[in-house]
Amino acid sequence: MRTSLIEIAEIESWVLQQGDPADRLVTEGRLLLNPALREQAAWQTQTYAVVREYGRQKLKEEIKAVENQLFTSAKHRRFQERIRSIFSF
Amino acid sequence: MLVLEDITQKNRSARIADWYEKVFPKVGAYIKRQGGSLEEAKELFQEALVIYFEKISGGNFQPDKSDDAYLFGMVKHLWFKHLQTQQQWDDLDPTDTREELTAELRVEKLVLLLKQSGQRCLELLQSFYYERLSMQKVSERFGYKSERSATVQKYKCLEKLRAEVKDKSLNYEDFLD
Repeated sequence: MRTSLIEIAEIESWVLQQGDPADRLVTEGRLLLNPALREQAAWQTQTYAVVREYGRQKLKEEIKAVENQLFTSAKHRRFQERIRSIFSF
Repeated sequence: MLVLEDITQKNRSARIADWYEKVFPKVGAYIKRQGGSLEEAKELFQEALVIYFEKISGGNFQPDKSDDAYLFGMVKHLWFKHLQTQQQWDDLDPTDTREELTAELRVEKLVLLLKQSGQRCLELLQSFYYERLSMQKVSERFGYKSERSATVQKYKCLEKLRAEVKDKSLNYEDFLD
């Protein structure tokens, strides 16, 4: 793996608290001494948040598609009637 | 009890449909009794399902209840949170900067922008970091020859998206407009 990717992997272990604790301590020291590396770590942390949000949105879309099917398809009429009876009064 | 291996092997949509049929009527009745609407019941149930999937994909989660009981309990918890949030919005000082909300909006906007330029990388990364699939499963899903190739690609994608996150965050003055 090229150097920049190895550095990304190193930041990842530190951000996600994975791998050898001794290696993470070394990374911690490098981050304290290297503002550019610190900045990369901050952007990488933000990137994980974006990936997580994307995953959430995808899952929610899948859930909504299933829900829509249950609430509109004729083959789920019994379910629809049951829910309608709950909210009808 | 549902475990991670089940969810990765079985059809996720079929599992979601099962939960709707089994748990949602109970959720609906509860929300109705609490004075809520069908739309609120739907939104809370969606959120409960998302949280449940996130918990079980974490690998360390060992629920002390059945899936159904856990989901219903989660909806009750979310309903109370929902009421509290409504109260906070009612009490909100309009000059309040709401840093937390701004951060959430920033992430949502970044997702929107990155979907246009880095969809495949987003897909690959979410399968590992969000769905928490093993590298073996990731390489199968995306057609890589080995786990090693998939791992290198994962870091390349991370590098690409990190650069885009930085670029888009720094260069869009109207970022949150």
